[in-house]
Amino acid sequence: MTDLASNDRWFSRLNTLLLILAGIIVITPTAWMVLSSFKQSFEVTAYPPTLFFSPTLDNYRSLSDTTPFPQYALNSMIVTVGSTSLGLLLGAPAAFVASWTRITWPAVVTLVARMAPGTLFLLPWYLMFRQFDMIGSYWALILTHAVITMPIVIWVLLPFFDNIPRSVYEAAQVDGCSPFRIFYRIALPLVSSGLAVSAILAFVFSWNYFLFSLVLSNSDTKTLIAASFNFIGEGSTNWGGLMAAATLIALPPLILATIVQRWLISGLTLGAVKG
Amino acid sequence: MASIRMRNLVKHYGSFPVIPGLDLDIADHEFVVLVGPSGCGKSTLLRVLAGLESINSGDLFIGDVRVNDVQAAKRDIAMVFQDYALYPHMTVRQNMAFALEMRGMKKPEIDERVASAAAMLDIESFLDRRPKALSGGQRQRVAMGRAIVRDPKVFLFDEPLSNLDAKLRAQVRAEIKALSQKLRTTMVFVTHDQIEAMTMADRIVVMKAGVIQQVGTPEEVYERPENMFVAGFIGSPAMNFLPVTIDGETLRLKDGTSFSATGLFAADALARASRGDACLGVRPEHLMVSPDKPSALDIEVSLVEPLGSDTLVHFQLGGVACIGRVSPDLRPRPGDRLPLLPAAGKAHLFDQTTGEAFR
Repeated sequence: MTDLASNDRWFSRLNTLLLILAGIIVITPTAWMVLSSFKQSFEVTAYPPTLFFSPTLDNYRSLSDTTPFPQYALNSMIVTVGSTSLGLLLGAPAAFVASWTRITWPAVVTLVARMAPGTLFLLPWYLMFRQFDMIGSYWALILTHAVITMPIVIWVLLPFFDNIPRSVYEAAQVDGCSPFRIFYRIALPLVSSGLAVSAILAFVFSWNYFLFSLVLSNSDTKTLIAASFNFIGEGSTNWGGLMAAATLIALPPLILATIVQRWLISGLTLGAVKG
Repeated sequence: MASIRMRNLVKHYGSFPVIPGLDLDIADHEFVVLVGPSGCGKSTLLRVLAGLESINSGDLFIGDVRVNDVQAAKRDIAMVFQDYALYPHMTVRQNMAFALEMRGMKKPEIDERVASAAAMLDIESFLDRRPKALSGGQRQRVAMGRAIVRDPKVFLFDEPLSNLDAKLRAQVRAEIKALSQKLRTTMVFVTHDQIEAMTMADRIVVMKAGVIQQVGTPEEVYERPENMFVAGFIGSPAMNFLPVTIDGETLRLKDGTSFSATGLFAADALARASRGDACLGVRPEHLMVSPDKPSALDIEVSLVEPLGSDTLVHFQLGGVACIGRVSPDLRPRPGDRLPLLPAAGKAHLFDQTTGEAFR
């Protein structure tokens, strides 16, 4: 009994230690980014780095003075909300059908497309969108970002749909539901937490996706993440401005994740474990 | 209300014939129980009736309508599932109203029907609760309520009592029986529990490997089983089967023990069996302790199972393990010897090769 209690204590201490270590690894770059955004440019790259300094909002001011930051933010929001909505619109029924028919290979295809490097798609897409005169349009970005969001929605929702007992669908069939009605009256409400989780993950991935916007947008439709690239010059880099931009870019996903963190964790676990 | 007709109905899963060809008539208002061991095709047949499984060939009629290609939604049947299949995100009231909404029924009529069914099943007090806040028995009632509100042509029950404890099962069994007499709707009930079949059915359909073994009233399948499968499946403990050789009016067991067959069998089973090998079937409750009969078989009790109302005694007869049901007042003990004899007219004779009963 004593040995067991002693073992438990050690495991508990080890657990705490590992959690602290993981916390440090995750938080350090974020803290570095946030702190650097309040430093003068020369302080950002100073060695050894300074922990105590006179904070300044110069980087944030220069961001709004030298760049159309609100426009970029709006572009990011339009593209992210659009591609997340499109991902949900296509991914949720696709996941439902894959679960219903137990034919999952199309879902695997979307996953392979998601895992493939983005550069693979760039040239064909560039040529295709140029053909349709869509380069620089929001639609080009929304459609291409749907390649990021849709597989996430499908693969997050698939286990949620699988968890619904088949008899519930059959009861709905007997009650007079068409497959479409079963989807939106029975299945969708039952996977609401999965929908929230997939929407948040799709939002974050789309918001942070850099490559497609870099190539397929123009100055009017450039997203925040692509615009932040402007701070990196050939001769010198405005680290302070870059850090300020990165901090602002990270805010929406961070706020979103903080608000729904409990839901996010329980939703992911619920979907993964078959009851 | 409607009758059901199945004609040469065939259902395959891939190349495996679950139902190789089945004919069955179920009359209007009849309560039919499909019973058989796991994998006998009874649930598949129910799902075929519901329209949840398609038919490979044959004809299925509900009323006068051939429903082979009619979707489940349009068959006007209601089904109670084994796990109840209630909609977890809806309240009890919404669960019951859902099918009526799907039909486009007006809200006042929906409310009236739900209230009426809820009163009938005594579930009014939890109409606004969700299924997860209900006990197993309450969920079962809601599942029945959901079926009742629809006033369907046919009710289908897929082992709805299997998730209930023994006490609740007996109670709900009686309630379903009472409900069937009240509603007078055609009902098809699937179970593997022969007690449920015996207590509830107007007629029992005993199935094995997708083939109907016997269709009859509970009394018929119990008293006049058509083959050894039905005889062994219906009744608990199962019927004892003893290989015997018939020699005129005498039966000889494999160990050489002989006893008179006079009066043991109903009708002229013995005459039909003629001479040769056969299988004697005797239910445990039809083995009588007969100390005053010189022809009684002398057995040695190997195991005793007191059930309260009666006592089961295990013994070997002619090299076969058998069970007898005797009065608890007898207080038998392992090692005791008992004189047993099949009750007059209650024994059965089966063809040893085909398993068919001699009648």
